[in-house]
Amino acid sequence: MQTFLSGQQLEGSGVCFFGLKAILSSSTVSALLPARSPPAPSSPASREMSQKSERRGIHVDQSELLCKKGCGYYGNAAWQGLCSKCWREEYQRARQKQIQEDWALAEKLQREEEAAYASSQGAQSQPSLTPFSKFEEKKTNEKTRKVTTVKKFFSPSSRTAPKKALAARLKDSHEGKTPSPSISRQSSIETDRVSRDFVDFLKTLQKPGREIHKQSRAFIEGMANKKDLGADELSECVQDFYQNMSDRLMTHFKGSSERVERVMDQVEKYIMTRLYKNVFCPETTDDEKKDLATQHRIRALHWVTIQMLCVPVDEEIPEVSDNVVKAITDVIEMDSKRVPRDKLACITRCSKHIFNAIKITKNEPASADDFLPTLIYIVLKANPPRLQSNIQYITRFCNPSRLMTGEDGYYFTNLCCAVAFIEKLDGQSLNLSTEDFERYMSGQASPRRQEPEAWPPEGPCGGSSPGLAQVYQNLELLTGLEARQERVLEGARSLESDLISWQESVEREVQQILEKYPLEIRTPASAIDSDNVENDRLPPPLQPQVFAG
Amino acid sequence: MSGHRVDAKVVMLGKESVGKTSLVERFVHHRFLVGPYQNTIGAAFVARQVQVGDKVVTLGIWDTAGSERYEAMSRIYYRGAKAAIVCYDLTDSSSFLRVKFWVKELHNCEEHCKIYLCGTKNDLVESDRSMRQVDYHDVQDFADEINAQLYETSSKTGCNVDELFQKVAEDLNSTAFQLITEEKGVDLGQKKNAYFYSCCNH
Repeated sequence: MQTFLSGQQLEGSGVCFFGLKAILSSSTVSALLPARSPPAPSSPASREMSQKSERRGIHVDQSELLCKKGCGYYGNAAWQGLCSKCWREEYQRARQKQIQEDWALAEKLQREEEAAYASSQGAQSQPSLTPFSKFEEKKTNEKTRKVTTVKKFFSPSSRTAPKKALAARLKDSHEGKTPSPSISRQSSIETDRVSRDFVDFLKTLQKPGREIHKQSRAFIEGMANKKDLGADELSECVQDFYQNMSDRLMTHFKGSSERVERVMDQVEKYIMTRLYKNVFCPETTDDEKKDLATQHRIRALHWVTIQMLCVPVDEEIPEVSDNVVKAITDVIEMDSKRVPRDKLACITRCSKHIFNAIKITKNEPASADDFLPTLIYIVLKANPPRLQSNIQYITRFCNPSRLMTGEDGYYFTNLCCAVAFIEKLDGQSLNLSTEDFERYMSGQASPRRQEPEAWPPEGPCGGSSPGLAQVYQNLELLTGLEARQERVLEGARSLESDLISWQESVEREVQQILEKYPLEIRTPASAIDSDNVENDRLPPPLQPQVFAG
Repeated sequence: MSGHRVDAKVVMLGKESVGKTSLVERFVHHRFLVGPYQNTIGAAFVARQVQVGDKVVTLGIWDTAGSERYEAMSRIYYRGAKAAIVCYDLTDSSSFLRVKFWVKELHNCEEHCKIYLCGTKNDLVESDRSMRQVDYHDVQDFADEINAQLYETSSKTGCNVDELFQKVAEDLNSTAFQLITEEKGVDLGQKKNAYFYSCCNH
């Protein structure tokens, strides 16, 4: 038991804990540790060794070949110079220590989870560790994190969990079947949260909830053994489990589909969060290769324009381009989700934004004839990461009823169509000649340069990239400004000349008038009446008279 | 099982602009509008419940892109469909040629899918007989041959639209009910045992 555990630790990826693979690896480990070989010079192995060293002219002292513990047997470099027996003892001790540490930690975590669980009964649950420290821990364990975290979740739905868990573990270890408890460390924050949510949800169901929990956990444990199966078999296992579970729930809820669906959603969320690491883009498939191929393909198609795809979307309208950007973000976000249903939700949100964009552009609701080309365009622009893997993952592990009938299923199907279209795309489907298509694909020409007279006059409205359109818009604006400035300057100049000529004309007029009516200033006469000839005939001026009285 | 819901996928097939979207719009919202309409953001997918006897059948109606450039992808659309409504324009003979293509495809790939032929824009033909380019009897013969139902509808007047979808729902209900009862009789006990068996083995 201990031996095979240590073997797993050595490999650094202790992947499964009980069942076939573990047993296999334990037997390989013991096969690798041969019986001790005494330093008998007649042993063929040592003779060969000394012959070899002689041939190469390196002299190895007999004592250097012996076990460093000095037990008199030969040592081995692979065992750090110890003989097999001493190495086992040494190794055992180190392992024992590590295992004990792990146990202590596992129990601590267990207690914390229990405490969190208990407190969540009354108030809202609180994280058992601060998120940061968990994050740190997660980082250090990055390498071994693949390990499925089964142990961690030892029946927190029942009050007596810690005792039970401990008892179960002890019992298991007696039987030599228990996994190393160190795995409990490697759970990520998300898995914890999902587990807690799941338990909280099941509590509302009371007794059947416990049953559901038990089965889900058993299923996840079972899946850990089936790691070596192909993706299709794994998918079949999960689908069978869904089918079984929903059949039972159907009987339990007396055929109320809505309630069954609600429970199934939670079950799916719980199971797939746990299994995600192992079943997303598994090594047994060529998903990853396909991902790369699609990514390259989309990159090579960067020159495809809205017009070629007949997309009824006008990105000139700010509201529309806003929706386009949101749609792109959503379809990229899909990769970050773990649960198939959440991935589907991203696709649905993306589709809703596309519908909005079409509706604003065309001012009528979109039909599939508008929607599919737009989705293709969005996928081309977004180039979502691991697109094929995501599609395969959803197809394999999503609850089939949702995929076949619901709205999510519809949008998902459209996404599949879009990807299929992008893969098969040729000149004909873009209304291009084969030669043109080849030229664009090989990067020898780009569609814009192909029709030089079509594009500069089109300028701001027909420009294929928003940046260029912006440049053109700005240029036009500048030209307009220049013309206006010219006009203002001209106005100023004419005003100036107007002013000058007005001044001149005024001066001229004044001059003329001056010339016409020359100013003669005559010296004034001594008496006003001096000129007046008739003066003599006038009566003498009145003299003041004094009246007596 | 009386409360059991029947969910079924119904695909709309047909050449571009034969009126697939209008047909769905008419069925779901009981209206036919020319020009902009505001209430729906998209008519590509709609789910609608239809009453059949004492049961409710939910039809998930999938609109598909009819353009020839997406022809290669059409089988992704009708995978798992329980019924297909193949539309053609009564005033356009070329649209009927495409119907034959889809019927062949459906027969090859999705044999359990029931096929309904639907001639659209019946109102145009009614008002002017010379507009008709697809003969009723020819299509009826073809429908008999492939074991399909034929309806001539008008989304404008609503003629035959509800009848078509009602028929689809009724047929689905009868077949779905058979499937459920069959499955129930055989599977449940066995699966249960198998599950426990595999569980104890670990």
